[in-house]
Amino acid sequence: MKNNKTARGYLVNTLVIAAAFILFQMLTGIFGGEGDFKLVLVPSLWQCCYLILLAASLNLVLGFLGQLSLGHCGFMAIGAYTAALISLACERAGVFTDKAGLVYILIIFGCIIAAGLLAAVTGLLVGIPALRLKGDYLAIITLGFGMIIVNVINNLPFCGQDGLSQGSAAASLYKTGLGFGSKAKVTYLWIALVVTIVCLTLMFMFVRSKYGRAIRAIKDDEIAASASGINVSSYKVLTFTYSAFFAGVAGALYACANSSLSTSSFAFTNAGILNSTFVVVMVVLGGMGSLTGSIVAAVIMFFVNYQIANGSWVAALPPLINGIFKYPMLVYAVVLVIVIIFRPRGIFGTYEFSLVRLPEDIKKARARRAAAKAERKEAASHG
Amino acid sequence: MKKLFCLLLALCMVLSLAACGGSGSSGSSAPAAADGEEAPAASGDTLKIGVISPNTGNLAAYGTGIHTGAELAVEEINAAGGILGQQVELVELDDRADPTECLNAFNNLVSQGIGLIIGSATSGATSAITGPANEEEVVIIAPTATADSITTEDDYIFRVCYADSAQGAIAAAYAKTAGYDKVGIVYCTGDVYSSGLKDSFSAACAEQGIEVVATESSAALTTTEYTNQFTAMVNAGVDFVYAPYYYDVIGPYVIPQARAAGYDGVIMGADGYDTTPDYVREADAPVFNNIYWTNHYFAGDTSEKVTSFVKAYKDKFGSEPSAFGATGYDSVYVYKAAIEAAGSTEPSAVRDALADTSTVYECVSGTFSFDVSGTPVKGAPVITFKDNGDGTIGMELVDVVEATDLA
Amino acid sequence: MSTFIQTVIVGLRLGSVYALIALGYTMVYGIIRLINFAHGDFIMVGGYTIIFTVPLVLALGLPAWAAVLAAIAVCALVGMGTEIIAYRPVRKKGTNMSALITAIAMSLFLENLAQAIPAIGPNPKVANQIFAAGGFKIGSVTFEYTTVITIVISAVIMIVLYMFTQKTRLGRAMRCVSEDKSAATLMGINVNHTIILTFAIGSALAAVAALMYMAQYPRIYTTLGSDLGIKAFVSAVLGGIGIIPGAVLGGFVVGLFESFTTSYISSSLADAVVFLILIVVLLLKPAGIMGKNVGEKV
Repeated sequence: MKNNKTARGYLVNTLVIAAAFILFQMLTGIFGGEGDFKLVLVPSLWQCCYLILLAASLNLVLGFLGQLSLGHCGFMAIGAYTAALISLACERAGVFTDKAGLVYILIIFGCIIAAGLLAAVTGLLVGIPALRLKGDYLAIITLGFGMIIVNVINNLPFCGQDGLSQGSAAASLYKTGLGFGSKAKVTYLWIALVVTIVCLTLMFMFVRSKYGRAIRAIKDDEIAASASGINVSSYKVLTFTYSAFFAGVAGALYACANSSLSTSSFAFTNAGILNSTFVVVMVVLGGMGSLTGSIVAAVIMFFVNYQIANGSWVAALPPLINGIFKYPMLVYAVVLVIVIIFRPRGIFGTYEFSLVRLPEDIKKARARRAAAKAERKEAASHG
Repeated sequence: MKKLFCLLLALCMVLSLAACGGSGSSGSSAPAAADGEEAPAASGDTLKIGVISPNTGNLAAYGTGIHTGAELAVEEINAAGGILGQQVELVELDDRADPTECLNAFNNLVSQGIGLIIGSATSGATSAITGPANEEEVVIIAPTATADSITTEDDYIFRVCYADSAQGAIAAAYAKTAGYDKVGIVYCTGDVYSSGLKDSFSAACAEQGIEVVATESSAALTTTEYTNQFTAMVNAGVDFVYAPYYYDVIGPYVIPQARAAGYDGVIMGADGYDTTPDYVREADAPVFNNIYWTNHYFAGDTSEKVTSFVKAYKDKFGSEPSAFGATGYDSVYVYKAAIEAAGSTEPSAVRDALADTSTVYECVSGTFSFDVSGTPVKGAPVITFKDNGDGTIGMELVDVVEATDLA
Repeated sequence: MSTFIQTVIVGLRLGSVYALIALGYTMVYGIIRLINFAHGDFIMVGGYTIIFTVPLVLALGLPAWAAVLAAIAVCALVGMGTEIIAYRPVRKKGTNMSALITAIAMSLFLENLAQAIPAIGPNPKVANQIFAAGGFKIGSVTFEYTTVITIVISAVIMIVLYMFTQKTRLGRAMRCVSEDKSAATLMGINVNHTIILTFAIGSALAAVAALMYMAQYPRIYTTLGSDLGIKAFVSAVLGGIGIIPGAVLGGFVVGLFESFTTSYISSSLADAVVFLILIVVLLLKPAGIMGKNVGEKV
């Protein structure tokens, strides 16, 4: 019975994803892959893809395992640089000359997987010592590791300028083999979407597996979990490594979307929304323990940030609000504090969106609303 | 097992769909690309020029310089009747010195049909848009992106500042003529600008036969201590140190600490030293001697072009223009000259006009023509600081290294 | 030899600043178990207050350092405000982690608010000389008086704070709150007032730290707090967070390690080495150098 339900779930999800793809391709056909579609929608989708992966992967550690990690972008940096340098090396070695064809696609996937693996290995190495600590100490130590990773990349002799050149240590890599231009982004958008969907599926499977149940037990009560026979430290390290893998994949997607990399993009804080602090913000806003929440929060944050920076309507606002929007971080900080005060578990809490359960959820929500209404009515009649 | 099978099935479906989708979209985008060129045409009677600069965040000072400079130029041009009879309008966007934000801003400008863009301040951000600009056939003039690779790869990218390699070479040439054959370098590994200049300076030293005896570094621009680095320079026995840092590090930290560490030799820097006098404590003023740096222009220059620019800028914004202001201003005038030469505001025509290496542009930051890659061939003023004796610091022109001297 | 002395002096100079800031972190953490990420930003607030009030103070005929009094007042107000507006509601409802995230949000807020204020803006500012220059010579190396003053101030504050928390009524109330909030309430201690007092003292320390920081490293900018705060925080954790003498010890350890790395290992890896030291210490002694390991209650 249960298996039947699971199978039905997969079928429904697959069909919906397939339908979404067809719809998207029809849209591509209508827009002809040009104009705003190419210049605004597609780059936005690329950015959403890596932000979603980044937020969702951090949620595994922050929401499900309950450990605050402040250096998540360090793993992303490793992924980005790995993918960029491998592809650059392939380009220099003449494995591919133009950015098309089966070989090129294989190289992209190879780079993405390599990026994830190297990030995972780093995650393992960082996790083993770091996860012996918890709470505030873990936060600081992961922050430290994030800074060390960036510092070390800065000092590598082959990561800067045009890359792989001799003895040129710098903070910025100007050309990457797989950095896509606008047209290539449209052509290869399906890679980003497929990678994101596959990774999200893997993460959903993880949190629903026995591992997921174990780490939730650890979050609720470590001592009780270990008393019930859960090997706390190995589960922690496993989750950390697993999460680092997807951060690395997000990094590889970032390297695809941008033809230049600079380590300042992966710092603890910077002026943009891609940094270790903001990933934490996304996870907290969306809901610690809800992958759905992370996805929604990442998309919303991207959209808001993009609109504040580029939207023409911002200039039309009254001067005071316009002035505040020049410093969007102010707005985010206030929103974050308000959300934490009023919804300590984030907007979605631990709710997960499911197509199969959707009718039930709607029914339940209706019932709840009706109950609340009835209660209010009753209170009013009494009052 | 069943789960895995289901997942695999789902994957296969998605992949196959995506694969046909992928080929479909590439097919449909190919013919559309041909008419894409018309998109960035001038609309109505105004000519829109996009400006991308870091207006908020840590590097906001650069962005402010660039867009105020550009605004001043546009105001002057509009007062004088515009370009080809069209009034000029600037569309300013903020990139926060981040590659992704810069690319977003670029895409936004292109989708509005703007084909002439000025930006951005840093090499890291600018390098994110050079490839797309070529692809979209949009002209970019970078005011201050100095990394060598910015203009070399693509046809549509130009700049009004010199490249890192030129600035490093000027410094090395200066060391050579001043008679130093052993030099030291102190630089920041965490900063693109600083490490780029360090690379080009050491390459130029190798060419000129100057020996780099000691190299020390700091991790980030937020580092506050440089004493140990300069003690190492003293121990290495050098009298010439190349220290490519920015004004806000040079003024309060590097120079006073270097002198306190007992290093009395020459400290040489680059355009980042501009506006240093605003960042020096009164008590530190006496140690600001024996410091030389190369810049895009010299604000104290007596030529008519520079004095009128400095005066107009001061009148409008109430402060002395930085080099960013000068290059932002020049970028607009270079566009004006190129559009008038081309007789059209069409990006490809403007590009062809800019690519003519024989055209000479007379700008605030020097008189120059472009080389084949799109980088100006120009000399650089070498400037020194002098203690005014009242706790402030003045600047003095020492030398002008001509472009021909370097060849 | 002179390189060695120079390195030690630089280490002490850095360490004295870290120690002074770490005291503020430790003070707050010791009482409410919260890493006050915004503490670094209180220093930024103090720094700007000093810059803006120095001309006023000089006009009144007072020495420049007297501006610190204004900074102490402003910082204490900002600190108490942060506690009342943000930290208290969260503490009531949320977990430890949400309190930490609120602290990060407040830090973001203060940094960006400062940038949005036109008089401050994103450009760095340079403070004028606060103490007269000068120093004494050890061999060929100068040991500046400012550094000596900073070390002395750190030591004095350390002793005063220690005595305050150990001997006075209010100090004992603070320790009681940190041990057990509900027991403290039963003992007639007003927990909220005690915590506000803690924030006021911690933020006032930030103002003093800002003064001493600017006397030695005169540049100040809006994101100063996070850069400086992280190092100082590392110092506090290294020494054993919550332990007042530990913060000072940690500060000097970090400063000296940083300086010696710059001189003898690699100048650009100083930050990485500092964090490696922290990691090693935390792994060997999770509660820091002076901390005691406490088992978890079930």
